[in-house]
Amino acid sequence: MPIHEKSLIRPENLVTHEQLTLEGVDVSGHWSTFIRSRVITDYNEAMEEEIAALPGGEYIHRCWQCGSCTNSCTVNAVNPDFNPRYWIYLIRMGLEEELLRDKDIVWQCVSCNKCTYACPRDVNPEGVMKATAHWLELKGHTAKKPSMEFDEVFSEQVFATGKIEEGRVLRQFFARTGQSLFQDWLVALVRGLAIRRPIGLLARLAIASIFRPRTRGWSRARAAINEYLGEQETAQRRALGLEQRGSER
Amino acid sequence: MKPILVLGGGPAGLSAAYALAAMGQRTILVDKADRLGGAPILTGYAKLVPSGEWAKDAIGGMVRRVEGNPLIEVQRATTVRSFSGEPGDFRARLSTGAELQLGAALLCTGFTHFDSINKPEWGFGTYPDVVTTAQVEQMISSGKGVRCPSDGREPERVAILLCVGSRDRQIGREWCSKICCTVSANIAMEIRDQLPKCNVYIYYMDIRTFGLYEDTYYWESQEKHKVKYIKARIAEVTSDGKRLIVKGEDTLVKRPITIPFDMVVHAIGMDPNLDNLTLSAVFDVKLERHGHIAKASSYTSMSHTSRPGVFVAGAATGPETIDDSIAQGQAAAMAALASVQGRAREAAE
Repeated sequence: MPIHEKSLIRPENLVTHEQLTLEGVDVSGHWSTFIRSRVITDYNEAMEEEIAALPGGEYIHRCWQCGSCTNSCTVNAVNPDFNPRYWIYLIRMGLEEELLRDKDIVWQCVSCNKCTYACPRDVNPEGVMKATAHWLELKGHTAKKPSMEFDEVFSEQVFATGKIEEGRVLRQFFARTGQSLFQDWLVALVRGLAIRRPIGLLARLAIASIFRPRTRGWSRARAAINEYLGEQETAQRRALGLEQRGSER
Repeated sequence: MKPILVLGGGPAGLSAAYALAAMGQRTILVDKADRLGGAPILTGYAKLVPSGEWAKDAIGGMVRRVEGNPLIEVQRATTVRSFSGEPGDFRARLSTGAELQLGAALLCTGFTHFDSINKPEWGFGTYPDVVTTAQVEQMISSGKGVRCPSDGREPERVAILLCVGSRDRQIGREWCSKICCTVSANIAMEIRDQLPKCNVYIYYMDIRTFGLYEDTYYWESQEKHKVKYIKARIAEVTSDGKRLIVKGEDTLVKRPITIPFDMVVHAIGMDPNLDNLTLSAVFDVKLERHGHIAKASSYTSMSHTSRPGVFVAGAATGPETIDDSIAQGQAAAMAALASVQGRAREAAE
């Protein structure tokens, strides 16, 4: 029987066969429309543990669904689909496919931490949002966000040398995100420098980009940081059931 | 002075009898069971809320101080057949044939556990792995541990259904049984302690771990023991031949659920004592609308029933905790003593 109120059903739950013959009757097209079941047939208990293994997600099990995070949320005020309370529930019950419907907005958390101060159970919802965005990336559900690329470029440089060199951060960030170096604002900035010629600054920039100075005695600090980061990554990938990466660091 | 009758040897009755004896009052403690202790002992409760003490130790101590008391005469396996007279001058006949002259009577007759057979859709009596909180208490207190009755295996996933026999107009039980939320959280933590691989889900309509039990039971069970609470009233419990299937609506995602479980526990409520109609007729006291023994007033005449000289304490008046039953037993003892001594003084003057 054709389904009249298709608008009430999520499109992905409607299944139609272009060509189908059942017991000699041609039911191609909308005559063979089926609705997938909405029934939840099991809980995935691993999902909460995976999020809890990532930084920020440690206290997700405390949530009792009062909604204080959502009703204090800066982003929810402009986008009602951004609902931390709901996502926390989906994670706790392991309703992964339901969470994945919102995978492209989870990262929009602005870390204002209003939820952190509103939460009566110290769930740290802001941390859970970070952990969830991280989880989505690690599991390959979402691509790396430009902000994450920037964070990585920035921190890799700090870890390597104990310092940052702005020009290098910028160049690497644009390269990794496939953006042109000739951004309008950057062109204007360079042109301004060329006109005013702050000799001292330009000289320091040139020296820094040629010699890449390091903080004195940084190698021990770098080794310690890399060891810690390696441990963290190994633990996280193990918790998420992902293959361990080769020793890149 | 004539002795005072205490009917029922549970927490309220044990507390009342001891309080009366401590004031030098002769007391006759009558219980229909062949041993004292009431529901905690006869049912075999495990660790009590909020002390965490084993019931057999905590209530056992109350039994011992009553049984060894020279002012308390204990009559086990005995009921009261008839009761008549006036305050200060009652007469009672026991099932043993004994005739008593009494100054007052205290009804500490407790409650009856809800019989889950009255909610057949939740599978009790049909599937052996559907059990009650009382049965889980027995599994724990016996030392055998929580196991599926069907084959003795350790459950890997347990559902506790709250409000079984409470807050349900369909079966004429419109009251909240008050203790089941806290008891369920207590049991859930015990299961998680004993079987760390076993996940426990509690299906609730509201959580009523009142007062100080909020953080010590509800929060503790969630935060330390990772018990999961799901707001759903279950529609039915069935089986796929291997495991139990719990069906209902997950109200937060607005989707139907059919989740497999190894064991389903009914958090059974507290019914009025099945004997209440008999007690009401024998002692000529009124019952309140739910079938519990009615209190005359909550304020000026605490512990009084509708009949002067007859007092009431504990779960006989409605769902009650063990520690409040003990407090009420002591309060009723004081009311009864005041009644008897007041009359004795009037007679002397």
